[in-house]
Amino acid sequence: MIQGAWLCLFAPLAGAFAITVMGDSITRRTAGWISTLSVFVAFAGAVVSFVGLLGESPGEREHLSTAWTWLSTGSFKIGMTLLVDPLSVLMMLIVTGVGGLIVLYSIGYMDGDPEERRYFAYMSFFVFSMLMLVQAGNFLLLLVGWGLVGLASYLLIGFWHERAEAVAAAKKAFIMNAAGDATMALAFFVLIWQTGTLEFAEAFVGAEGMSSTLLNLVALGLLGGAVAKSAQIPLHTWLPDAMEGPTPVSALIHAATMVTAGVYLIVRAHPLFELAPSIQDLAAGLGALTLLVAGFIALVQTDIKRVIAYSTMSQIGYMFLGVGLGAYGNGMFHLMTHAFFKALLFMAAGLVIHHLAGEQDIRRMGGVRRVMPKTFVAFLVGSLALVGIPPLSGFFSKDAILASALASGGYGQLLFAAGLLGTLLTGLYTFRLFFVVFLGRPSELVLQHAQGSHGRPEEEDASRTHGKTAHGETASHGEGPWTMTVPVAVLTVLAVIGGWLQIPDVWHPFSDWLHDVAEPLVEPSVTQDLVASALAVGLGLVGVGVAWLFYGARSRELPRVAGVRHALEHKLYFDELYDLVFYRPAVWMAGVWRRTIEEPLIGGSITGVSLGARRAGGVLGETQTGYLRSYALAIAAAAAVLVVVFLAVQ
Amino acid sequence: MAGPEITWYLIVSAILFSIGTLGVLLRRSPLIVLLSLEIMLNASNLALISFARLHGGHDGQIFALAVMAVAASEVVVGLGLIVAVSRRRLTLDVDSFRVLRG
Amino acid sequence: MTTALILLPLAAALVVWMLPLSGRAAGALSLAAALAEVVLWVVALFRFDFQRDLQLVDRHSWFSDLEVSYHVGFYGFSFWLTGLTVVVSAAAIGYAVWANRERARAYHGLMLFLLGAIVGVFTAQDLLLFYVFFEAMLIPIYVLVGVWGGPRRVRATATFVIYTMAGSLLMLASIIAFGITQGTFDLIDSGTSSNTWVFLGFLVAFAVKAPLFPFHGWLVDAYRESPPEVAAILSGVVSKAAVYGLLRIAIAKFDVELVLDFQSTILALAAIGLVYGSLLAFRARDVRTVTAYSSMAQMGLIVMGLFSLNEQGLNELGVNGAILQSVAHGLISATLFLLAGMLEQRGGTSTFADLGGLARGRPALATILLTTGVIALAVPGSVAFAGEFLILAGIYPIGWGWAVVGAASIVLAAMYMLRLISAVLHWRRGPAATEASRDLRPAELALLVPLVGLLLFLSAWPAAVSERSFPLRVQTDEAEAQAP
Repeated sequence: MIQGAWLCLFAPLAGAFAITVMGDSITRRTAGWISTLSVFVAFAGAVVSFVGLLGESPGEREHLSTAWTWLSTGSFKIGMTLLVDPLSVLMMLIVTGVGGLIVLYSIGYMDGDPEERRYFAYMSFFVFSMLMLVQAGNFLLLLVGWGLVGLASYLLIGFWHERAEAVAAAKKAFIMNAAGDATMALAFFVLIWQTGTLEFAEAFVGAEGMSSTLLNLVALGLLGGAVAKSAQIPLHTWLPDAMEGPTPVSALIHAATMVTAGVYLIVRAHPLFELAPSIQDLAAGLGALTLLVAGFIALVQTDIKRVIAYSTMSQIGYMFLGVGLGAYGNGMFHLMTHAFFKALLFMAAGLVIHHLAGEQDIRRMGGVRRVMPKTFVAFLVGSLALVGIPPLSGFFSKDAILASALASGGYGQLLFAAGLLGTLLTGLYTFRLFFVVFLGRPSELVLQHAQGSHGRPEEEDASRTHGKTAHGETASHGEGPWTMTVPVAVLTVLAVIGGWLQIPDVWHPFSDWLHDVAEPLVEPSVTQDLVASALAVGLGLVGVGVAWLFYGARSRELPRVAGVRHALEHKLYFDELYDLVFYRPAVWMAGVWRRTIEEPLIGGSITGVSLGARRAGGVLGETQTGYLRSYALAIAAAAAVLVVVFLAVQ
Repeated sequence: MAGPEITWYLIVSAILFSIGTLGVLLRRSPLIVLLSLEIMLNASNLALISFARLHGGHDGQIFALAVMAVAASEVVVGLGLIVAVSRRRLTLDVDSFRVLRG
Repeated sequence: MTTALILLPLAAALVVWMLPLSGRAAGALSLAAALAEVVLWVVALFRFDFQRDLQLVDRHSWFSDLEVSYHVGFYGFSFWLTGLTVVVSAAAIGYAVWANRERARAYHGLMLFLLGAIVGVFTAQDLLLFYVFFEAMLIPIYVLVGVWGGPRRVRATATFVIYTMAGSLLMLASIIAFGITQGTFDLIDSGTSSNTWVFLGFLVAFAVKAPLFPFHGWLVDAYRESPPEVAAILSGVVSKAAVYGLLRIAIAKFDVELVLDFQSTILALAAIGLVYGSLLAFRARDVRTVTAYSSMAQMGLIVMGLFSLNEQGLNELGVNGAILQSVAHGLISATLFLLAGMLEQRGGTSTFADLGGLARGRPALATILLTTGVIALAVPGSVAFAGEFLILAGIYPIGWGWAVVGAASIVLAAMYMLRLISAVLHWRRGPAATEASRDLRPAELALLVPLVGLLLFLSAWPAAVSERSFPLRVQTDEAEAQAP
């Protein structure tokens, strides 16, 4: 079981390394297969660990394994330690499972790109980093994984580095995440000073003796990192820009895995957050705020990927809401189902984009259903899951969170209201997207691309429900590569059945699995469950209905409230604010310092020294007058002085 | 000991020395400067001999002889310089020899 | 053993100077000597016991009436700094061979002499001997930059020499005062001093060498006008002489109370240097200037780590972090300067406005620059991150403000390093980045890959250095601040 965990961690790294070192000597296709294989091997390792844990009784399910001492000074030791417990294994399965499917999909999606090898090396590297994050046995290694996924994200967002927008987006993502890294590091310094260790268990025990101010600081530092990584307000501006990267990257990193790391962190470090309840409440509040703001902004986005990106931001807001209120199991449950349907949505969107030769503006799309019927189905399934329509997965997970909010007292109920409004918005923006892109009459662009059958995988068989039907008919529709078909199909199935792992009060293997790692602070009653579900589904359907009204039957736009719309289109001016507060002052300060300090210092000091030396020489030179008599006078005066001194000393 | 008290000799010596110093500092002709230097030297000779007379030993007198020898050699060199300068028709003015200024 | 490490390059320098060799032969001999030095160091590594104090000691009396002796030896931390020196010097000499420097005999002789002098600095245990080696470092640098440097080299050298000499003279005064009051010039035999002026003399000399704000006026010009490999040695190794001096002399040989009196000022200057250097690096316009200011920032950070002490003595986290970061930064800036040199060889310039788009079609260059760049910005998992984390964790108990400044500089480092990477590799090709600029060739890779490989190795196992810089028992020692 431990070996499984180590295999899981290092297989993708080995894949990345192999691809890098072999360079041009392997074909691009081979690089893709190496990468995919490495991730699936990791999945196998994860499964081994999972099975191993299953065989144990709940109390024993925690194993730490250290390979070598990574960093140490006399009394402070950090080992290269892996933690195998239900939470980490859950994340391992999600990351490698969904990740493997997405890497497989990339083989078809990125086919033809001259830099494919680099892409697959980066993808494997990303999976390794993410696994390091979730498998880390101590906080410092977690931070290492944290930073490395930020790096992988930078590399992948900026993959098409000849585009200035992509490079800028990559830098922005990295720097915002670096700010999060910095706050986490500060939290760790406090922990080291107070408890002397960064191992999870010891730190949690030691933290109980800390003052509340320090505890709040630690939790706040961790929250800062979580907020940056998960693109919650106020550190969210990097996520929409990150859509510059290839679509599979958006699917993997910015929907299914990396952005959920913040949620994972809160669950992993929940003892610390529970010791700082105001910060935990803050986390929930930020989640609620984000889910609303992102939902509103998504309403006016015209880029298909950005709508889905804001949707991701919004759904992670739900997860933060859940774990912020202590509903750890439910939050993680939503994390899992979201990974399924969000990745599905991105991949389906990727198919559309690819078919339309890179077009991402939804205003130029329409009636895609006619030319890509199977994608239509996949997208529909994903959308329904996202809105939370039973019996798809999103219904179970999202409503569980809402029920927990309802059960959490006054503050929780306020957040519950926000969450409900969010479901309305979700229905609205999701189906706005769906209707605009897929329904109606095909737009010119769509018709243009419908003729050319460039063997593009627009016809794939996204089977609807229970099990996959035979794919015989797909193969006959041209070379729709199975590498893209199968992942989408699998995810569609998962998006449907994934929620069936947790039906409240009927059976709950999921929360049982996580129970020992993170005991929830709140357990909703049956009534609350039902009320929450009814309201959520109802409002979701209302949202869908409104979308149908405006976009389905006749393509009208939402009423314009000019100022609001403008603000939303500018994403509430956060970018401008950050530019003003951080970037410009930095540039200005550097310029000022350069002029006022650096130049005088460099120029001045040496010119100053040489001028000074010359002047001093000049002044002293004045004594050499050349006059005989002045020299004589000097001698006489000196002699007189000496005589006086001599006499005085006597 | 016969004659005036030692003090008077010393006073004369001091007066002579001052005259000589002032001459060196204030006169512009090199000849006069040399002359003043001689006066200074002789003033010190006088002091030396007076003290020798006072203490009864001969050290002062011998030293005075040595001083006279030095004075003589120095006059030789000095006068030689002055003759060389005047041969070149340069002004015999101490203030005009400024080539070695800093 | 230690004397061999010092004498080998000096002897090789003499041989290269005196024998009538051709340029190629001189270069080959020089490189062979540098590599032999590395091998010698590795041999010493296997003999080294990191749990003991001063080792591999050689001692001979020099001026017995003044109690001056030829006394050399290694501590754990100075052993690592010496390792850094020999590796970077070998790479630099390799670069010089590749770049085919003119007047090769003179050049290589000077480089070897420099190497010997630097090793001497790290091993000297007698103050006068230390001073001799410290000044001996200056002469080859002066000539190397002044003759083989860039267009404005004369001014750069003059500035560098004047700054350094000013500091050194103060240090000489301090040495003399210290030696006379202590009765001996030996670092092991003497006790600690409590004289403020003597302390300041040493402090200023090392502050100029590091450099510490505001004594950094010589930095940018010197790094810009030097030949790339000399800049690599200057920023990678010579600045660490200041680290060694601060630790071995300024902190160890003076009373704790005295050092603590100056702690806030020193930390403030270091912190200012950190932020100042980072911000100026952010607006710099070419690879060399970015690396230069980044060096200044990193040295500020390292000094913060060194001075994170309290009444009980050195802070274990801070000082181990400082040594680890010294080694890391030495390798990083050496690699960056050699890369800058290679870029300049191709395009004639390393100015950002003229470069760009070099990633396409040049995978080796892109990979190496990217790897070095992300390690330089201390991405979590890199050795630079490990060092930085230790330093900041160590400085935190002294004052949380220092740690916050350090944490903020993490973000700044990301900003300037990513800017550098993008300016060279991304966007469109600039005028200097022509189609003809080829990818890194085997000779260049042979220089860079070992350096980057070492960085990656240390990133996977920073404990190799951090656990072995100071013997464990001394770190729990309750005595006054004595460097082990």
